[in-house]
Amino acid sequence: MSALQYADPVSHRWVQRLHREHPQHDQTVAKLHDALRRAALHELYRRRGLLSGPEFEDVAQQCADDAVVSILGRIDEFRGLSRFTTWAYKFVVFEVSGKLARHAWQRNPPSTEELTFEQLPDQLASTPGEQAERREQLAELSRAIEHDLTPRQREVFVAIALNDVPIDVLSLQLRSNRNAVYKNLFDARRKLRASLSAAGHPVADEEVRS
Amino acid sequence: MSDLDRLDELLGAQEGDAGCDAGVPIMDEYVEIEVRGGDPAERFPGTAIHLRVCPGCRADHDGVLEAARLFGDLEPE
Repeated sequence: MSALQYADPVSHRWVQRLHREHPQHDQTVAKLHDALRRAALHELYRRRGLLSGPEFEDVAQQCADDAVVSILGRIDEFRGLSRFTTWAYKFVVFEVSGKLARHAWQRNPPSTEELTFEQLPDQLASTPGEQAERREQLAELSRAIEHDLTPRQREVFVAIALNDVPIDVLSLQLRSNRNAVYKNLFDARRKLRASLSAAGHPVADEEVRS
Repeated sequence: MSDLDRLDELLGAQEGDAGCDAGVPIMDEYVEIEVRGGDPAERFPGTAIHLRVCPGCRADHDGVLEAARLFGDLEPE
């Protein structure tokens, strides 16, 4: 059975024309590249604030170039479970995401302070007027961050959850990847909830399950 | 947001979260279901949970969804 068994007719034609032996191969690649460049430009504007306007055209061009290479290399993996264009835009959005993260990391890498636990941020830190129970809960949270997490879990939790370092920027800083860093964060959160619960200070409706 | 809500968000970890990598190969299919007006959480519950709590993956998802909606109807000729 064809790998394209689910594809709609338009997606079928995209794939056929993008195969090297097709007579319209070059024109179709050019049309795909143009569509990806426009999508990349749109995505850069959507995420504006991470990059300045004059750089958009160059970055969009690079993202489209790289996405086209990936798409042509993996064209036989397209099964038609979405429109071909949706599948193709996924590649260019991931390119934009990766390039913006690298750009942000190069210009503004996380500081040592953002990776090191000193104290809970002001929004969470207890105040003299707060109830004793709340103060004890936050004290237990501070203790658990310092003593119950592994060094990597602590670093990831402090950077992302307490200091708002973007996960992709932290991944680059740690020479890791988004999935591995997210797993560290997930495990840290679960461990901290368990610590609070064990100390008699559960959080809200206790979503943690082993 | 109350302090309790903030703490709950800070420590949010939901059972069934599929993680980042699980969403990569199915992101186009996930988005296409949304474009057609369906609910991708029925087919991909773990990724639906993940997209609620991972800003990086949510940004990627939102970008693919917007591109599919705005530029999806394009013919190769």
